[in-house]
Formats: sequence, C-alpha cells, structure tokens
Amino acid sequence: MTPAQDIGSEQFEREAWREGVRTGLPTLFGIAAWGMVVGVAMVKSGLTVWQASAMTLVAFAGSAQLASLPLIAAGAPIWVIFATALVVNLRFVIFSALLGPHFAHLPLRQRLFYGYISGDISIALFLQRYSEPTPGPVPGKLSFLKGLLVPNWCSWQTGSLVGIFLGSTIPAEWQLGFAGTLAILCIMVPLIINSAALCGVLVAAVVAVLAHALPYKLGLLAAVLVGMGSAMFFEETFNRRKVRHG
Amino acid sequence: MADWEIWVVIGVLGVATACTRSAFWLIGHRVTIPPRVQEMLRYAPACALAAVIGPDLVLGAGGELQLGISNPKLLGGLSALAFYLWRRNMLQTIIFGMVVFTLLRVSHVFENTL
Repeated sequence: MTPAQDIGSEQFEREAWREGVRTGLPTLFGIAAWGMVVGVAMVKSGLTVWQASAMTLVAFAGSAQLASLPLIAAGAPIWVIFATALVVNLRFVIFSALLGPHFAHLPLRQRLFYGYISGDISIALFLQRYSEPTPGPVPGKLSFLKGLLVPNWCSWQTGSLVGIFLGSTIPAEWQLGFAGTLAILCIMVPLIINSAALCGVLVAAVVAVLAHALPYKLGLLAAVLVGMGSAMFFEETFNRRKVRHG
Repeated sequence: MADWEIWVVIGVLGVATACTRSAFWLIGHRVTIPPRVQEMLRYAPACALAAVIGPDLVLGAGGELQLGISNPKLLGGLSALAFYLWRRNMLQTIIFGMVVFTLLRVSHVFENTL
C-alpha cells in the first residue's frame, strides 16, 4: 500500500480487500477439495442432490455435516444431531471469541453474518495480520476480512457442488463415503494438541464403539462427554504432578 | 429418516453453525470465557470427531466388532493416519487412504486370514 493513498478512501479499502484475497489464495484449492469430499460423502450417504446442496449452502460446516451423515442414516433423533453438530462446532466458539471483538462496533445483523461465514482457516490468516483487537473501526480491516471470507466461501461451495454432482454419478460399490471418514481423521489429528487431548480422543473412540448399540445414537454423546472428562482429568493430574515436582 | 426430517436436520445444522460461529461476535465484547471452560472447548471437537469415526472404522455392517486385518476400513484408516502424520497433507492423505482401502476391498488379500 502506498502512503499516497488516503486512509479510509475507497481505493484504500479496495487495496485491503485485494490483500485479503492474496493472503487466502494459497488455501483455496485445499478448501475446494475438502468441499468436494464432503459433497461426495453427502450424496453417497443417501441424501438427494437437492438435500445435499441445501445442506452445504445452509450448514457451511464440513465436519458437522460429515458427523451428521451417519446419524441421519441411522435415523437418530434430530436433537441428537443438533447436539452433535454443536459439539463438533465448539472450536468455532473459540475462534469467534478471538475474532468477534475486532468487529464489536458493527451493527448486529452484520456481526451475525460475518460470524456465520467465517471459516477456521480465514480466521487464522486474519489473526496473523491483526492480532490485537481495537475498540473502534480500523480502516481496511473489514475489507481485508471480506477478501478472505468471500473467496473462501465461494471455493468451498463450488467444491461441494462439484462433489455432489460427481458423487451422484459414481457407483455406490466404490464406497467413496469412506473419504469422509478419512477427511474427519485429517481434521481430528491437528486438534490433538497435547497428551491430554490424545487421551480424550482414545477414550471417546473406545466408548463410542462400546456404546454404539445405545438407542438414539446416544453412545456418541456419551463418548464425547466421557472423552472430554478424561482429557480434563488427565490434564489436571499431569499438571498437578508437574507443579509438585517443580 | 423421513424426507421432512432431513430438511429439518439441514435447518438445524445451519442454526448450529450460526450459534457457534457468531456467539462471540454478538456478546464477545462483554464476556470472557473462564480458562477451564476454554480447555473443555478445546478438547470437545477432537473427542466428538473420534467418536464419529471410531465405530465407522472397527464395526461391521451388522455392528459386530472387526479388529482383524480382514477389515479394509480399519487398515485403510490406519494407513491414512500414518500417511497424514508423515506428510501433513489432507488431500494426499484422503487419496492415499482411499487407494489402500479400495485395493484391500477389491483384492480380498486378507479375507481368509484373521
């Protein structure tokens, strides 16, 4: 950005938008590919092309969508699916806590909108550029965020729709839905940030397998709670020992 | 699941996204999350995802436990996990895992061994 441009001018905002687009560019291919995998998985789990398209447009959350598919297939009650989606999305609460304060000055509807379309990768890139929130509006900040969010949304939706239409032409025997399981695996591994998280993940997986026969797919929620509890317990025990030994 | 129920689920998923993503855009400047709750929030998603894929990898179509090498999903998943830990690339991992899974499924190499 050249100093000759007036801060806050249209030109300045446009340049900030372009900078956002440039920053997000390297991630767009991966986003589209991930969208495609989710698109294929949705169709292969038995959703119609219309249902799958609506789901990707409305939910716009790959991991929650993938998590809901086996529950839909098993005929789980809607509240269990809702609870599962909330839990899978909990990481977004953390992100929104980091990002939200930057834009506290915006009107309610805009805050709701930008929050809703902000994916995790965009937020990470945004926070690399603007780490500390400021109370008032900062010129270029919102344009930069939009430059990240809009292409991210477009490439995700494009990838998903391609996956949905591709998926409906691929025979079911190929079991392409398994790609969804593998995708979840790839999102899960980076979330295992320490040994407590690893403990929680292992416990949750084992409990989910043992409790799979519970009615209404309640085994899943039980597994999450027990896993989370184990992670907290592990961390507390471990930390206390560390403190005691200096 | 009935058709209308699936449409309700789709709406409900949208609500779940909006609730979690917009939460602190709406109230963030007034509230801070206590550290203990933050920790729980950190661990929950990984646990939830593990609980989703765990049964998928080790349970057969009838809900029976299949821990042997004759289960292509388990072997495919474990190879994908190893590949991901090595390369840290999601797309490559998915392709690799699918290739392993498909080869095992089609070739039936481990069908008679357990």
